[in-house]
Amino acid sequence: MSNSSRTDKQDRRKQLASLSFSEKVKILEKLRDRSKKIAASRSKAARALDKPQ
Amino acid sequence: MKATLEIINQMQTDGIIGKYAIGGAVGATFYLEPAATLDVDIFVTLPEASRSKLLSLAPIYDYLKARGFKVEKEHIVIGDWPVQFLPPGNDLEREALAEAVETEVEGVKTWVMTAEHLLAIALSTARPKDHARILQFLEQKVVNADRLNDILMRHGLVLKWSRFQDRYLDKDTDE
Repeated sequence: MSNSSRTDKQDRRKQLASLSFSEKVKILEKLRDRSKKIAASRSKAARALDKPQ
Repeated sequence: MKATLEIINQMQTDGIIGKYAIGGAVGATFYLEPAATLDVDIFVTLPEASRSKLLSLAPIYDYLKARGFKVEKEHIVIGDWPVQFLPPGNDLEREALAEAVETEVEGVKTWVMTAEHLLAIALSTARPKDHARILQFLEQKVVNADRLNDILMRHGLVLKWSRFQDRYLDKDTDE
């Protein structure tokens, strides 16, 4: 990773950390919902692979 | 989360729980950038009557189940968050709960453990994700070093802290 992209990432993290707790909780909820969707689609794919042809 | 905290505050008003504080990843988010988590850890003190029953969480579960909330393994789903209620398991967690800071989520009052207590609990739990969180606390400079050292000394975590520093931190790092 280049120095400038590392600095950009650190700045972004600082910016996120400085948000209010309410704003951060909204982001947490979006992250949680995305994780749940990914888990559900993985589980669906695994079930499809397990099905006998 | 607003709906979740409103129900938990109502439980407090109704005497089902005493003081409570958000810990874990959601608690850490008060100080850090948000990181994905699927549940909320709520540390709770139980009122005297419940405490006599060997720290049973049954009154919490009975109260919530009677109001239609669903139990999923070790969680109970309140609003759209799976919540794990945790009675403090040691003096460090009891202190973290007692000294939690008051804040608000969308206008609803709540309490979050201090950054120093969250770090000390993470150090004590010591899973890889706890170590990653400790590094985030240090990187974001949200921990008061004197306060942290005091907590680590009083709760017998100095050696663990020293090992953590040797493993993860540069020699010239202050914390």
